[in-house]
Order: sequence, then C-alpha cells, then structure tokens
Amino acid sequence: METGFDAGRPVRVSSFNGIDIYRVNTDKFKTSSIHFFFQDNLTRENVTKNALLPAVMRRGSMSYPTQRDISKELESLYGASFDCGVTKKGERHIIHFYTEFLSKQYVPDGTDTFAAALSLLFDIIARPALVNGRFSDEYLAQEKDNLRIRIEGRVNDKMSYSVDRCMEEMCRNEPFEIYDYGFVEDLAGITADELTAHYRTMLETFPMQVYLVGSITDGEAEKVSELLSGLERGNTVALRNGFARKEKADIRHVTEEMNVTQGKLCLGCRTNTAPDSDDYPALMVYNGILGGGIHSKLFRNVREKASLAYYCYSMLEKFKGLMVISSGIDISNKQKALDIMEEQLDDMAKGNISDYEMEATVKSMETGIKSLTDSQMNIVDFYLSQTIAGTRDDFSTIMEKIRKVTKDDVKAAAQRIVRDTVYFLTAADSAGNQ
Amino acid sequence: MDFEKIEYKKAGEVLYSYEHDSGLKAFVIPRRGYLKKYAAFATNYGSIDSEFIIPGQEDVTRVPDGIAHFLEHKLFEQKDGNVMEKFSRLGSNPNAYTSFNKTVYLFSCTDRFDENFSLLLDYVQNPYITQESVENEKGIIGQEIMMYQDNPDWKVHFNLLKALYEKHPVRIDIAGTIDSISRIDRDTLYKCYNTFYHPSNMIILAVGDVDPESVFEMVEGSIPHSKPQPPVSRIYPEETGAVHTDYIEERLAVSIPMFQMGYKGGFYGEKGIELLMYETAVKLVLELLIGRSSDLYEQLYSEGLINSSFGADASVEKQYAFSVLGGESPDPVQVRERFCHVLETAKKNGLDRAACERLIRSFRGRFMRQFNSVERISHSFISVYFKGVSMFDYLDVYDKITFEYVNEVLHEHFKPESLAMSVIRPV
Repeated sequence: METGFDAGRPVRVSSFNGIDIYRVNTDKFKTSSIHFFFQDNLTRENVTKNALLPAVMRRGSMSYPTQRDISKELESLYGASFDCGVTKKGERHIIHFYTEFLSKQYVPDGTDTFAAALSLLFDIIARPALVNGRFSDEYLAQEKDNLRIRIEGRVNDKMSYSVDRCMEEMCRNEPFEIYDYGFVEDLAGITADELTAHYRTMLETFPMQVYLVGSITDGEAEKVSELLSGLERGNTVALRNGFARKEKADIRHVTEEMNVTQGKLCLGCRTNTAPDSDDYPALMVYNGILGGGIHSKLFRNVREKASLAYYCYSMLEKFKGLMVISSGIDISNKQKALDIMEEQLDDMAKGNISDYEMEATVKSMETGIKSLTDSQMNIVDFYLSQTIAGTRDDFSTIMEKIRKVTKDDVKAAAQRIVRDTVYFLTAADSAGNQ
Repeated sequence: MDFEKIEYKKAGEVLYSYEHDSGLKAFVIPRRGYLKKYAAFATNYGSIDSEFIIPGQEDVTRVPDGIAHFLEHKLFEQKDGNVMEKFSRLGSNPNAYTSFNKTVYLFSCTDRFDENFSLLLDYVQNPYITQESVENEKGIIGQEIMMYQDNPDWKVHFNLLKALYEKHPVRIDIAGTIDSISRIDRDTLYKCYNTFYHPSNMIILAVGDVDPESVFEMVEGSIPHSKPQPPVSRIYPEETGAVHTDYIEERLAVSIPMFQMGYKGGFYGEKGIELLMYETAVKLVLELLIGRSSDLYEQLYSEGLINSSFGADASVEKQYAFSVLGGESPDPVQVRERFCHVLETAKKNGLDRAACERLIRSFRGRFMRQFNSVERISHSFISVYFKGVSMFDYLDVYDKITFEYVNEVLHEHFKPESLAMSVIRPV
C-alpha cells in the first residue's frame, strides 16, 4: 500500500449509468469513509428542493425510521458519523451524504464496520422512510421550518455572510447569486408529492460520484458497485460550471446596515482565468502573494503595518472565476483599508513582487497541498473539484505546475483581475458611513 | 540520550517522552505516512492567571486582564523582525492560541522540520518587546476583541460563564477588554513572561513522521540547563457552588434566539485521572438525557424547539468545572424546563444502563478517531497534560467507568442551584 504524497491518488473502480465510483486506498487513518455526491445545476427552480432533500432524508429510512434509530446505530458502530447537506461549487449544486467509521483493525470486537456503515448510508439514500409512497408531511413541515431558520441564520456569522453577499452582488442576474440553501419564499409551495418526485429525479438523473477512502478491500469496493448497479437510472443531467469572464466593470459600491460593532469590508474581483486553463496555477500563486497567509501583501500591509485589522485575506472561487478580499475593520477606517487593498492590487499588476513573496507563497502552497493528503475529507474534496473543473491533476502534478509559475505569469494573472464590487457591512446610522 | 517509550496497544499508538533537567518535558507521538509535521511549545499559563506570587517574592502581583493573550501576540516580534516571516520563508504555518489555562505556540510544516522546530524553540525563549510595538498591537487586538463582540456563538458562551461565576476569572474574555489592554505595557509583559515561561512550567510536543531521538536532542541542545523553578502560586477567588445569576440575556443581530445553559461543578479533583473520569461521566449524563439518541432530543426536535445546531459538552479542570448544552431555539426557556423535568425524573428512576454502555462504546471510537488529525492529537494531548495526566488515560477511563459512578455524578453535578442560562435574542 502506498503512503505519503501518492497515498491520496484515487482509482476509478467502476463507471456506469452516470455513476463514478472511486477508491482511495490508504492505511494511515484510524477510520474509513464513504461519500456520495449528487450533482445538479444551480437553478432557482431546484435549489430549495435540493436543500430540503437531505434534511428530510436524514430523518429516517426504511430500516432506521427515525433520527433516533440512526443515532443509536451510529453509536453502536463505535461512534461512527453520518452527515449530509448541500454546497455549491461554481454553478453546480451538490448534495452530499457521507459516513466515517472506525476501520476494522481498530474495532475491539471484530464488527464489520464497513458493511454496517454502507448499509446504513445506502438505506438513507435509496430507501427513505416514506408514508403511502411519499415523504412524511410531518418530517417535511419540520424540515421546512429548520431550513427557513438556516437560511435566515446566514446573518449570524458576519465574516462568511459578508464574503457570500459580496459574491452574490457581483453575480446578480447570474445563477451563481443563488444561495446554496435556497429561498424562504419557495418553501411553502413544496408539497410532499413534489419533493418525493424530486427525490426520484435526484436518484435517477443527477450525475453521481462515490468515493471510498481508507482501508477498503477489493471485495468491499465491488460490493458498492453491485449495490449501485441495482439503482434505476435514466438519462443524466448535463452539467455546467458557470465560469464567466467580465473584462470591464465600473466598481459598484454596496452597503448593508446591521447592528454590528465591527465593519466587514469585502472587495470582489473577477479573475478572468478559467479553472481548466493553463494560467490557473499562476492565479493561485497570485492569490497566495496577495492575501494567502502571513507572508502576503494584505496581511503585512493592512494588519501588521497599518494595524487596521485582525484579519485580512483574499480567497478564490475557482469555478466561477471570482476573488474576494475580506477584512474586519473599525467602521471609520473603511476608506483607509480600501485604499491599502487597492494599492496591493495595483502593486501586483505592476509586477512588484519580491523574491521573498514569491518563494514564501510557493512553499506555503506546497505545505498546504501536501497537508490535504492527511485528511480524508480534503482528499475527496480535491478530487471532486478536479472532476468539476475538468482537470486531471493529482497532488504532485498540481505542485509541479505551481513550481513552474514565474513572476511574469503572476503579473499576467494580476492584469486579468478586474475590480467589480465593494461590499461593506456596517452599523446602522454609523458616522463612518459613506 | 535517555527517553521513555510507552506503547498503547489498544490505540495502536506510541508515546515517547523525555525530561530535561530544567523540568521541561518533551513528547513525541509519531504518525507514519503523514506528510504534516506539527510541533507545539506550551506554557501552563492562560487568561485566568492574572493574580499570582512570583517565586521568591512575598507580595501578590495583579496584572491587567488579557495579558497572557497579549504576550502571545508579542512573542512573534523578534529583534531582527517578525518571526512569522522566517517561518513563511520555510513555507510553514506558525500559529498560537491562548486559553484559560495555557498558551500554545505551534507550527505545522511538511518539509524542513528541524529548521522550523529550532525556530520555535528559539523565539518562544527569546522575547523582544518594545513599547512601540506594544502600542501597535493594541490596534490589532482591539479589532480581534471587536470581532468577538459581533460573534453570537462566542457571546452566548462567555455570557454563560459570567452567569455561572461571580469572581473566578473564567468569566472574563480571554483577550480582555479594550480598557484592560490599554493598561498593558512592556514591563508587565516581561514580568509575566519571566514568571510563567520557565521551562519547568512548559512542555514541548511533536506529532508527525519525525524521529523522537532527534527531536529530544534538539530540545536538549536548545534549553538552558537550570534547576526547576518552584511553582508559581496562583490566586483564584473562592467560588460557592451556587451560580452568580441564573439568567443572562443580550440582544445581537441574529435571526433566532441562541442559548447555552450549564451547571457549575463543585468538583475539583486533585488527581488528573479523576478529572477525566468526572468529565466523561458528565458527558455521558448529557448524552443519556438529551443526546441525539435520547427521547428528549427527538421530542424537542420534532416540536421545533431545538435543531441540529444543538450540542452538549463539559469542561473539567483543576480550578473549575462546568457543563454546557445549547443551540438555537425559538423558546430557550422551555428547553430548559423540559430538560430539568427529564433530569429530575432520571434522578428518581435512574439512568438507562444499556444506553450508557452503548455510549461508552461510541466515546471510545470517537477518541480513536482523534488520531486521524495531528492538530487534534496535539490539542488534546496538551489540554489533558496540564490536568496532570495523559490523553491515553481516556482508554482506561472507558474501561473502568461504572454505571454506578455515572449515576452518582448525575446527582452531584446537576444541581438546580448550579444551573444558569444565557440567551442571545435578535435585536
């Protein structure tokens, strides 16, 4: 069995009916895990139903009709975990289900944890607890309420809320502006019949990726293929990424007021670099130098030099082609902070990049990429993202590409960056407002 | 070179330990096949240690709240610049955190472990603090404090501690307040450093695919040989078993009320293993009464009184102990009543023995799972070490804990007069 850098390389076990099954074999973890992903295009029509599905499905299956039954089974399986939910990557909406459990060699009584966990997960996915052929009205009503709370609860975490809102403002009138968890006003219209029909659509037509990670035997991998070949599948949905170029924009200023003490300032940009283009590694290095850690221009200038913030960083939305700079500042310092952020962007476009910045960034990215291989979740996410971007890199090939990036490549990536939206979350009636 | 090797067969783990003649202890937990290597240099000194007697002196020293955390920020400053830059030249991620009773400096890297490790050993032992840089840091930490002011999860928790404790410094924010940090200066920072950063008050831990002997040799070569310092006497105000106030409420920009309720524990164990045993029993009781597999959880969830944000935990240290349960709820007070009702019924009728056994099995698996992550190993090892035991002792606890003991703790910890509740409501 391979260990180290190559341990995280997935092997495709089988592929049929729009289902791809991958296995990542490694014995360095104490646990193994099984991940199911169902992919859809992000649309207003489906988003709320997609978000409701896992919420209702986790309430019970045929063999484990209540949440309590599921929890008891997980506890008996030495504290195995199960979770599900939705996320968006570019303009894809992804429903995921996963379970993680102690690998057999660490189980004191020889319980076949793989078989038990697979059977539980598959029961939840393929054999939901239906009443007269449809989801229970009771579960549906409760989960609509929970989803409403979740959607309204976006405001509770101001840091992630401000970044999300900035990206939504940038992408208004594009599907990407749709929030992963959907719309409160669409909840009321969803009936049990409709959601059950949507469940069948998911199971029959959404492209599916399955990842098996850990100490998985050939026999176990085959068992998964066998189980899934029993699913009735139709024509699968054609998926898009949603990458968009926007070369010129007048900067839009959006201010939102809330009862806060600290202002959250976000500067959103279009990267104009596609996730599958040869230029993408240069964009990653660009982002690292600009705001990817303690060596970055933003950290050093906004925090260390100007003492304006505790945090200031930049992040990429790879698939859609966005970059957001984010910082928490005193409300009266908005313009000062924005000026420093913009100076850093200008600096990068001029190619003012020191050897230290270049070197520290590449090394820090190398550490980051290698470290991904130490987490099952990160390994799976890395490879799922590769399939969505339409690239076939593994951990070592992506690293090689990053090492080859030159300052000129970074400068070129910088020149493709277009500033789009300044989003400011601020206190109501604050004096610092502009 | 003398060091010890202890095998924990059930966990499939090995612990190497070494003691320096200054009293510093160093440990290695190897992780074959992992690319991430991690090391931490930790002192048993945190936000609650603001009143103490310096060894050799008689008078009590009182320092401003938030100084342990401030010192953590300032240690990164070195004579020849910020040490973060040196780490980032090596591509590694340095970090640090301060909790109630410890300050931990750490890095993670995948390459050049030795260089990173010697950098860590070096900067933690060599503070270089100027008054100018102290003033500069006040702006940064000020924004850190402000950030937490807008964080409802943080607020609901610290408000609960304010309600539980009347005088004990766990009720104070780890970073202090804008006002308390304004009183911090260079000399006080050095005074705290010299008191609490003696090697005998510190430990070193490395986790990853590293060679124990070479780690210990580097420690040996870097720490000056000295006699252990006598322990610092720390002064904590006395608390009764009763809560300071049983209810505290605040309004923030949130969409739904959030709450935490908790019991203030009267138990202060001297032996570490007792602390682990007590903590495990409190957690078991919470799981039995309101965990995911309980009747009450199912009922409250079905009625929309709690959602999947609900969780419960316990924190048990030598100087304080409390349990916490909470999440989002449209009616936190009703959740409290319902919990108290189930609690009193359990006190009368006893707990469910079969469920208790199932949960211990679950705790065992979850303990094992921690070993998947170098960060979690390190975090858990250091926390447990400062209680005077080893994290591997949890395995013994799971073997030895009895249903009768869990029932005892049900009566001992969950007393009505020790219960407080904190609620954050929408503006």
